[in-house]
Parts: sequence; structure tokens; C-alpha cells
Amino acid sequence: MGDGFCRVPRRGRGAAGPGWSRRARDVHGGCRELPAAGEVRQPRGQRHGALGPGRGGWRGRAEREGGEDRHSGPQLPVRARPGARLRDSPDCPGREIQQEELRRFAARVSALLQGPEPGPEAVDGLQRLHLTVAATKYPRKLDGEFVELLQTVLCSPKSPEQIQVLCAAILREMSPCNDLILSCDEIQDTKLLSLVSSVLLAQGNKGEVAAVGQRVVKALERRLPEGQSARFLLPVLANVLRLSPGSLTEEQIDVVSKKLADWLRYASIQQGMAQPSGGFFSSPRTKQPAPITEVDGAVATDFFTVLSVAQHYTQDQWLNVQTFSMLRNWLLCYGGKELNTLNPGARAGVDGSETPPVCAAGRAGRPLPPRERLRDKAFEYCQRLIEQSSRRPLKKDDGDLQKACLIEAVTIMDIICKQDSFYVCRAVSCLKVLHSRICGDGTYARALLPIAQFFLNHSKLAAVDSDAIYKHLFTDIPAQLFHNPSLAFEFVQFCKDNTQLFTDSSSIFRQSFPNLFKFLAWNSPPLISEFVDLLPFLLDPDTTIEIFHLLLDLPCLTAALDIQLRAAALPASEKAGADPAGKPATCLEAFRHPLYKSLFQYLLRTKAAPEDAPESLVPLRQLLGSLAGSPRVVQCAETVPVLLELFFRVVAEFADGSLINQLVVLLLQRSDQLYEIPAFKEDVYRVLGSQLATLCGLRPALLVELSTEILEFSGAVSNIQSKEAIFTHLAWAVGEFLSVSHDKRCTVEQITRFFEPLEAVLFEITQLRPQASTPSCAPRAISVLMATLTKLAARSQDLIPRVSMFLSKMRTFVQSPAVTSVYSDEDLEEILIRATELMNLLKMPSVAQFVLTPPVASTQFQREVNDSLPLALRMVTQLLEPAPGSMPV
Amino acid sequence: MVRAVVLLAPGGPAPCRVLYARSFGTPPGTGTGTGTATAGPRQRLCRKEQLLAVARQVASQCQLLQSSLGRPSSPQLPQLPDEPMSLQDAPGGLFQMPPGDPFPERVTVVWLSVLALTFALVCEPQENLSLAEITLRRLAPRLLLSLRLLGPGADVLLRPDAADGLLDRLLPHGQMLFLNERFLQAVDRELGIKASR
Repeated sequence: MGDGFCRVPRRGRGAAGPGWSRRARDVHGGCRELPAAGEVRQPRGQRHGALGPGRGGWRGRAEREGGEDRHSGPQLPVRARPGARLRDSPDCPGREIQQEELRRFAARVSALLQGPEPGPEAVDGLQRLHLTVAATKYPRKLDGEFVELLQTVLCSPKSPEQIQVLCAAILREMSPCNDLILSCDEIQDTKLLSLVSSVLLAQGNKGEVAAVGQRVVKALERRLPEGQSARFLLPVLANVLRLSPGSLTEEQIDVVSKKLADWLRYASIQQGMAQPSGGFFSSPRTKQPAPITEVDGAVATDFFTVLSVAQHYTQDQWLNVQTFSMLRNWLLCYGGKELNTLNPGARAGVDGSETPPVCAAGRAGRPLPPRERLRDKAFEYCQRLIEQSSRRPLKKDDGDLQKACLIEAVTIMDIICKQDSFYVCRAVSCLKVLHSRICGDGTYARALLPIAQFFLNHSKLAAVDSDAIYKHLFTDIPAQLFHNPSLAFEFVQFCKDNTQLFTDSSSIFRQSFPNLFKFLAWNSPPLISEFVDLLPFLLDPDTTIEIFHLLLDLPCLTAALDIQLRAAALPASEKAGADPAGKPATCLEAFRHPLYKSLFQYLLRTKAAPEDAPESLVPLRQLLGSLAGSPRVVQCAETVPVLLELFFRVVAEFADGSLINQLVVLLLQRSDQLYEIPAFKEDVYRVLGSQLATLCGLRPALLVELSTEILEFSGAVSNIQSKEAIFTHLAWAVGEFLSVSHDKRCTVEQITRFFEPLEAVLFEITQLRPQASTPSCAPRAISVLMATLTKLAARSQDLIPRVSMFLSKMRTFVQSPAVTSVYSDEDLEEILIRATELMNLLKMPSVAQFVLTPPVASTQFQREVNDSLPLALRMVTQLLEPAPGSMPV
Repeated sequence: MVRAVVLLAPGGPAPCRVLYARSFGTPPGTGTGTGTATAGPRQRLCRKEQLLAVARQVASQCQLLQSSLGRPSSPQLPQLPDEPMSLQDAPGGLFQMPPGDPFPERVTVVWLSVLALTFALVCEPQENLSLAEITLRRLAPRLLLSLRLLGPGADVLLRPDAADGLLDRLLPHGQMLFLNERFLQAVDRELGIKASR
């Protein structure tokens, strides 16, 4: 209660200070929508779950205190006076109070709206009401009559625009709204029609959307009254198109197509006149309108486009802009439909999958149907935009717009060519020229993507060779522009949209994966989910090994890219500076140093090069160690475990025995060669460990085939400490899968061969180490080692006495002071219980063999049964020792 | 087309806050069980939750980008600088949200962070993203100015009309416009604001 101050003054009276955000945060937990920032601090008792109905940020009780609601003006349900307190009274549940207060407040606003001239007070009231409605995701019930009034005020031509806008905003915010009586049928004013449409389109009702569509098309068909502009209607139409494309009839589509074609192609080429502002200095000047100009200032020689410049614009020029802005969606929606119905025989080259286009043939001399005509005009428009984009803009921002226009123009050309192959040849020659014009300019790189997409879609039909275009795109662009986040996103998107390209392993696309990973390495947060989608398409038996290395080296690649960027930014004089004889002092020097140059080059390669792999990248990883803490590198490192898991999942689907063996050997090798980021290594070990066990399960034969490598790894005590996850999983896999039931080659000799090094390791960590006071090993590893040795003994019963004796010594182990100081009591107890259970089991060798060497499971149920070794152990223990807790002596 | 605009304070260590959000129309048929008494509120709740999900994702992307640039985002709001600021170097980005989460269809979100605030456009997947970035760079300073976002007080919450007015000109019904500098100046004249750059 004591913290319930509302210290925000009324608007216009002064500052609340920057504390508004802080206070808002105090009040609302989680990601809040429209918090009543700085408005009210909620009473303590009601803070949690502030979003629930009746618990929204709105607390209006402050205003009642001191009798403030007797004031005639609209009071502030959301704001309170400085110093006013919120009373948190337990007998007033929030919901009823709010509802009642909201009703009263709405009544006041209602009175103001119905007054002779709704002014600033009404505006203020509506603004607050909007906040009240918007601040919660649960419904706020407003009186039906009041909602009706809002609609009446919205539609009244006498209402000030600001009030209309606010009414619309409230109605939109409440949508879907049951009390809607709004209709756009009678509205003549195009601006108001647009505003009312925004409310109707927010209802999520197909009928409303269709009605709006009909009304807008009707308005566009007729001549608009004086002073009204279609400019406000086209965006409504575009939105109707998006929400429910089926809202227009075929005839309407034709009518609008005809209009769009005219607006697109025949906008005035004279500048508009300035609106007389009525100011002191303005005088009505009667000047001849000047011609429009290009972005570089030259007088325009052809028709008007969005890149045409004027001091003032005419209405039809505005319509030109809007038409082009919605053109792509219009064509996608309605551009192609007519092909099936309209005089198919009359046209050559329609739907070109059948007929190759005749490039020389024109279609002059016959009037085109509306949609075909729109395509024609649109194509010309795009050609003109491409021509205009070569001009040097006077304003820098127009340069950005030129590039966006170029992308749009190429995309529209692509759509048009898909709909009518007649245009393919013209487009190909135009885009070839465009490509050679912009391919050397990095600032145009994003436009290369739609160009490449165009050639992917049409080059076969046009019989042109576009390999050079793809090669440039996939070789040079990622290598040079990996640091451009927008390009990176669009590039990866392009790859995702064209995954069929990656099925041909010899293709430029497939080969370029090292380049693609640069995007991920540099921009990991926005791209990780995209790469999760893309990675399966990059993987096949030929790329598996190289991609495995790439993934493990991904953070290292980030660091190398960082150095590459910095090296490129160096002035030319310093670039050659490094002394080839001495050892480089910094990473930057090393970048060009002969000692490291080839390693950098390999890591930063642009395409797959399995045969060029250097002996080892270890020196490079060490060199780049200084960058391991950089946030970008760390972010990249965090993505690796996700991709590694996916990698193994995908590879498991196609890998044959030799590939799995190769991977296991690599996995063990690479576990020693990771970039030095402790958390990264820990995560990677975790994934590699569990995946190693999975691979062994997939192909148990690898245990025998790779016994040398496996024994070398599992025989090293140091691996338990540094790579516990891998070690433990490997030891478990040996116990689980080294069995004659999995592989006929698992003879007694083989089992003994595995048994001895593991026994030695367990001996070392349990019998020797306690005295040596070395760091402890994970209890999990000890437990798994005991179980594995027991399993092996059950399969080769000569070993049973050795294991039993070993297990019996565990009591001494857990009691030794050196051990109790390192392990927790719980862990030691678990180790001891497990040792006892295993020992008991070994007392009945035939049972042990049955329990510990389960048959090869083929069903999920069997596998689950097999996984419950502890359960089986406990059961056997209970059978043997009715009194639980009996310890080995 | 743009489905929605979201303005949020990503909030650094604190949870993000949506300061303004506007959806451009609701696709019909997204609400389950239309016609029942609860369908309306549920549809609205769904719309709000979708925008919240966008906001959360934007906030986290924004924080990750800030940290990768070595600029930890400060929870304090700096004052609006007197001279016009350049948004060329303002941190921003793009990401995609998969179908079904939170929108039924795939969407691309384009965002731009200016001082302590972040602006985001939720675009249809095949949208011209260069144009979306341009639109965002134009909207951001104008919204800052007309909502007095960085000034004292919290006008942003109480001036939906100002934000709507801007969007009606620069992003009418979610339609992004190819406006060259001169067109933009004309829009600014109509809005009665001085060119902010």
C-alpha cells in the first residue's frame, strides 16, 4: 500500500522525468503490452499476473480520492494527481470497480462527444479511453450505446479529423466488435472511407472484407467527386487483396487492371502546382508547370515513375506511386488467372512451358485484354526503372530507393515472365545487361538475388547460360559481404527457397557451403533457425566430413572473419608490413604471414575443398584464441551444439558403415582440437558424447573395428577429467554393445581386450587417486565404468572374480578421507549402492548374463526395458537380499 | 504488405514493453469457433499475443546484436539529441518467424533500434525487404518526433492519433510505398512536420 504513489502529473503540466520506463517495469512482469507507463503503480497485492481481467494497468481509484470526480472536465482514469494515493481496499474486487469506472468515464466522454463542438477535452478523453482498451489483452466491455456513438462520430462529416482518427483507433483496438453497425456503403469522402475501412478490415470477417472491396472498386470505377482522390483507396484495395483475394469478381479485376495500367503508364509528366498555403508570403503565382526530372536532375525524357522528381506532385503521380507499390501483389493475385479462360489460341507463347518463346515476334496491332495490358505496361515500367537506376542520384536516400526499385522491378519481371513467357527474351537481355552493370558494385549485391532467381526460373526456356551469374553470386558475394546482415538474411532465404539446387552435388551451389557458413558465423542470432532448415540440404556422404569440421570450427571462423575484415580495413601501407622471417605478434599480422596464410585461406575458403585440408588447424585456433571472448564469437559458439545435433540426426539417415566409422574416429580426434571457449567445449562434448553412443548403437560393429582408437581414448584417465561426457558415453557404449549378440567378432579375447584398460582406469581413479589428491572424476563416470566392467564380466565369466573383488573394494574407497572430502555424501552413497547391486548380481552369473546382455532390441518397448538396468539391478538385489542396504564387507 | 507495426522498449535486463502496436486488418478465419460468444475476445487475445511474441523476439534479437557490437544496451533513456540523428548506423536486422509461431503463415520481421526504442515491421514473407528497411528508417525518426518518444512524460501511450496519422501517410493500410525524397517532403508537408533530416 505504501508504494502506491502515482506521481505523474497531468499532461502538459510538466515532466515526469525519465523514470517512466522504470516505473512501468516495476509494475508489469513479462513482456507487457502497452503498459500504463508512468501512470500508476499498482498496489502491491495485485502485482502478479497484472494482465488478468480486472487486473490491467488501469487503476482509477485515485481520482475518487479528494472528490476529484466532481470536476466537470474529463478526469483521468489512468493518471492520478501528484501525491494521490491508491487505496488497496480488500473489499472492492478490481473488476467491478473498473467496469463501473470505465462506464462512468465513457459516459463523460460520450457527453463531450455529443456536445456542440468536441474539442481538446474530448480528444483527451478518447486518447485515455484508447489506452484503457489497448493496455490489456483481455476484453474491455464498453457500453453498446457508447460504441454506437463512436461509430456515429467517426462517420460524421462534421467531426474533426483527430477525433475521427481516435474513434477509429478505439474501434480497431476493440475488434472484433459485436456492436458494429458501421458500413462504408454510403461514404463518399475517400479519406473517411479509408478510415472506416480500417475498422471494418480489423474485424477478421470475410463478409466485411468483401464489402469493403466492393465499395472501393465501385468508387474507383466511377468518376470521383471534385476534391476526392483515389489515392486513399488504393491502399485499402491492396489490403483487401491481402486479407481475402477472392473478394473481387473477374469483371472487377479487369476494371481495376485497366485503371492500374493507366495510372502506371500515363501519369502526368509535368510537375504539380504548389498548394497555396495561405500564409503571409504566399502569393498565387501563375507559372507554367515545369517538366519532371530524373533523380540526377536531368529533364525526364520518358514517362513518369516512382523515380521521377518534382517540386510538387499531381494526384495522378501519387496514384502512379501507389500503383507501382501494390503492383507485385496485384500481379501475383490476379495477373495469371485469365490465361486459362481468354482466347488461348490467339496468343503465341502463353504459358511457355509448352511453347518456347519466339523472341523476335511482337504482338503489335491488336488491343490487349486488361490484365494482359497491365502486364505489358508493368513490364515497360520495370524496364524504365532499371534504366533510371543507373542515374546518379542527387539525394543519397534516393540511391537507396533506386536499389529497392531495382529489386522490385526484377521481381515483377520474373512474375510477368512466369505468367507470360512472351516476355522472357526481352527480360533476359535486359537483365544480362543489368547484371554486368551492377555485379561489380557491392552496394547492389541484394539486387543480384532476384536476378539470379529470374535466371533460375527462366534460363532453361530462354536457352541462356547463366552459370557465371550463379558462380559470382555464390563465390564472391558471401566472401566479401558476409557482414551485411540484410544481405545475409536474404541470401540464406534465397538458398532456402531454392533447396532443389543443392541436390546436385557437383553444382556451384552445393560446392559453396563453406561460403554460406560465413553468413551464419557472422550473424548467428537471426540466422540460426534458417540454417536449421538449410543444413539437411547441404549434407550428403561427400560433404559430411567437411561440414563436421566446419561446424566444430564455426566460432573459429567467426574470429577469422573478424581478422579478415580488420585486415581489409588496414591502409595499404600496413598491409604488406609483416616480417616473413619473424613470428607475427598479432592476429592481424598473422593474417598475411606465410606461417598462417594458408591456414587462414583454408578456413576462409569459398568452396568445398576436402583434398586441400591442411594437416591441422591447431596453430590457427591457438592464434585466434585471443578472440575467443568476443561476444560475436561466443554467440556463434552457442549455435554449434544445436547444429551438431541436427547434423548427426541427418547423417544417421544416409551414412553407411564406413562413413560412421570415419565420423567416430574424427569425433574422438577433434575432441582434443576445439576452439578454446570453455562453455563451448563443454556443450560440444555433451553433444558428441551422446551422439557417439547413438552411432555405436546404430553400428555396434564399429567397437571392434575401431578398437585401437576407442581403447586409446578410453584408456586415458585424463579424458575422464577433460571430456567426461564423451568418455562416459563411450564406456557405456562398450558395455552395452560389445557383445556377441551384436557382433559375432566379440570373442572372449576381444572382451578381455576392452576389459583390461577400463579396469586399469577405474583402478587408477578409485584406488590410486585418493592418495594423489588429484581432482575428482565425475561420479557418473565411476558408476558407468563399474557397470561396464560388470557387463563385460557377465559375458566372459573368467573375469567375474576380478570385478567382484574390485567392487568389494569400493567400500574402502568411499570411506577414505581423501575421497569424502571431494565427493558429496549422496554421490558416494549412490556409488556404493551401485557397487553392491552389481556385486550381488555377479553372484548369479547366469542371471547376470541374462540381465546384463539383453537381446538386440528391435521395438521401442524392448528398448525401454533394456534401458531400465537400475530397475533390474534393484530387483535382483531384493531377491538376493531381503534386507535392503546390505553392504559388501 | 506489412501486417503490423510494433514499437517497443526492449528494456535491457528488464522485460520488453510494447509501447504502440497496430495491425493492418485481421485475416478472416483466423479466429477459432467464429460465431460463439468467446470467439471475439479469443481472436483479439490471439492478435495481442502474436504481437507480444514478435516484441519478445525483436527484443532478444536487439540485445544479441547490441552485445555482438560490444554495446551493452543501456536501460536508461537518453534524451533526444538536438541535431538530427543519422539512422544509417542504427542497429537493426531481419529475422523470420516460422509458420504457426505465432502467425499461421511465415512472416519476416524487420527491426530498427534507435536509442532505447525499437521499431519493427511484421512483413509478408515475400516482401521487398530493402523497401521495408527504408520505410522503417523513415518512420522511426518521425514517430520519435511526433510522439515525443524520448522527451519527458509518456505521450506515446496517449497519442495513438499521432502515430496513426503518420502510418496513414507512410504505410497506409500496411502498404509500403516507393517514395522518393520529394514525395517524402510532400508527406511531411501534409503532416505539418519539418523534415527531420
